[in-house]
Amino acid sequence: MSEVFLQRVEGCAVDAHTKPTQLRERETLVEVEQQYVKQFVSKVWNDGISRRLSTITGLDLGERIGIIYHFWQNKDTLHVRTTVQKTSSTAVSIVDIIPGAILYEMEIHDLFGVTFVGNPWMDKKLLLPETWPDDLPPPLLKTSKSPEIRKRLKLEAE
Amino acid sequence: MFRLMLQTPVTEDYPFKPITLPERFRGKLDIDPARCTGCQVCALVCPASVITMVDIGTRKVGDRVLQVKRPIFELSTCIFCGECVDNCAFKALEMTKQFELATPNKSDLTMRKAVSS
Amino acid sequence: MKMSESKKSARREETAGLMEYSTENLVPFGPIHPALKEPEYFKLVLEGEKIVEVIPRIGYVHRGLEKAAEGRPWVQNMYMFERTCGICSFVHSLCYGQAVEELTMYKVPKRAKYIRLIIAELERIHSHLLWVGLMGHWAGFETLFMWVWQDREIVLDIVETISGNRVHKSMNAFCGVRRDMPENMEDHIVEKMKYLAGRARYYREIIDTEETMLERTQKVGKLSVDTVEKLCAVGPMARYVGIQNDVRLNDPYAAYDEVPFSIVTRNEGDVQGLLRLRLDELIVSTDLITYAVKHLPEGPIRVKIPPVIPAGEHSSRCEAPRGEIFYYVKSTGGRTPDRVKSRQPTLANLPAALEMLKGQTLADVPIVLTAIDPCFGCMDRMSFLDTETNKQWTWSGEQLRQYGIKHYFPNQSRNSPILKETHP
Repeated sequence: MSEVFLQRVEGCAVDAHTKPTQLRERETLVEVEQQYVKQFVSKVWNDGISRRLSTITGLDLGERIGIIYHFWQNKDTLHVRTTVQKTSSTAVSIVDIIPGAILYEMEIHDLFGVTFVGNPWMDKKLLLPETWPDDLPPPLLKTSKSPEIRKRLKLEAE
Repeated sequence: MFRLMLQTPVTEDYPFKPITLPERFRGKLDIDPARCTGCQVCALVCPASVITMVDIGTRKVGDRVLQVKRPIFELSTCIFCGECVDNCAFKALEMTKQFELATPNKSDLTMRKAVSS
Repeated sequence: MKMSESKKSARREETAGLMEYSTENLVPFGPIHPALKEPEYFKLVLEGEKIVEVIPRIGYVHRGLEKAAEGRPWVQNMYMFERTCGICSFVHSLCYGQAVEELTMYKVPKRAKYIRLIIAELERIHSHLLWVGLMGHWAGFETLFMWVWQDREIVLDIVETISGNRVHKSMNAFCGVRRDMPENMEDHIVEKMKYLAGRARYYREIIDTEETMLERTQKVGKLSVDTVEKLCAVGPMARYVGIQNDVRLNDPYAAYDEVPFSIVTRNEGDVQGLLRLRLDELIVSTDLITYAVKHLPEGPIRVKIPPVIPAGEHSSRCEAPRGEIFYYVKSTGGRTPDRVKSRQPTLANLPAALEMLKGQTLADVPIVLTAIDPCFGCMDRMSFLDTETNKQWTWSGEQLRQYGIKHYFPNQSRNSPILKETHP
């Protein structure tokens, strides 16, 4: 089962000009550039490689922000990783292929500051309060520190 | 339906009668000051930062002078996980069956047994 | 109290302005509502009694756990993630533990895997019994609620005897469990599981024949297979339309590949199907526990590992009572993690729940929202809206407390003895 899965993933990866790496016996990671993400995800979803999207993770990689899509089917897991720049970044949205991804993208928008082009609810906040100051950077970046956030949101006694 | 009417009520009469607790129940923490050596392992593993080590004196080992520390427990933040009990190599800590810990004075829940004795 | 003429006319002006202001029928549901166990805000757009659109707004109990996990040692994070939820606490610590264990080279002993299975299934029975009781409560069937919650006490007593606590079990550790099963508990557990399975069959009969339950649960909350798959619903929300999505079957963890396990799916696609599904799963869980207790292998229960975890990234998933829990862990080889991402099943089921609500009447909202078995977890706040100037601001918990003190003790100075004693 794992061999078949890996072969099919390799087939899709060739079109996106990339190659999969095997992290562990049943876990594969594919690095995809932003311009090929939609095509790759569409192939994975519609060609029956995987019909289960677990979640979308945001990651602070130092100079860039990583976005990882986690797919799984039976015992095999596929991680699709793409990176965007750190400030005022835009990323491609997969909501028209997989409507269930809408809340995951909203969460990354709130916590990392990445705007997903094509997501209809980008103007709404999911987790952060309405009074989040505009000049305060998104909370999950490594440079944002908890004491500063608490002070700006007036969570401590004066 | 009618057999339920003839059964005894299922509600326990606590607090008017005492309640039976199982053997492994995790209640308030207790320390045996005679066994504590001040090794600090409990303070390092506590997930809720309940334990602070304070200096109570010094002792000489050869020609070196070492600090002697003992723990103070701020039990109002304790999450009753039992990590400190499991990691204490000298078996000085124990979880009692006391669970009625509500008090209007927060200072009642600071345990200084190891320091004051 | 008599209002003066000027005040009355001012009040009429105020209400007239408000009536002109709203053009669509918006009913706010939440954040504090008797039907919700935890706060969440839904804006329901109505046409008469039928719901046309639902706009969610979550974030009311957000605690910033993912940020807090980045500064704490690995073992302390296990206790923190256990407290994400009360009812599925063990599965959270299990999933996190499994994700981290794979980065090390140590293997979990067999006996520990079986004990993990027993505790996880006990948690599932507890959660499903709680849920069935709540469905009875929101449907108006109080007797079902009381009887089911009485049976729930049996499970909690067993859990307390094994682990020491009713809800936050704290049984999990890296590469093992912290406590062994007590002596001579096998017969007691087998007897109680048989009793619970009998009760579950009785409740199954009730929901199939009782008029109140049938009226409120049949043909409510219908979804098609295609919608459910596209909206990435997990757990019972996927199984109630017939999709075979169960992590215990598709991607077994702990000891699930060694015990006989049968998946439960239904085809009705409505809330009554969900009730039948969860009660059937309860019966399957009792069988699993009976098998595991009788075939418990001998051996150690734990392998101690060093506090530094090697670099790498790993993900793991488990089947919580509500669906699939997913954890992604990234380590750079230190004593604290670099990134921990946890995705709870209720977030995955929320788009499906919003779809279920469209076309239902207002009275069905508590039933449908409880049908997804919600367990929200996010950030606490109190929000103000000044309708005249359209300015919004929030108060923190500390500001709220100070406001309360000033309101109830208006003449006391901040240093008075009564305030010091009751509000230190």
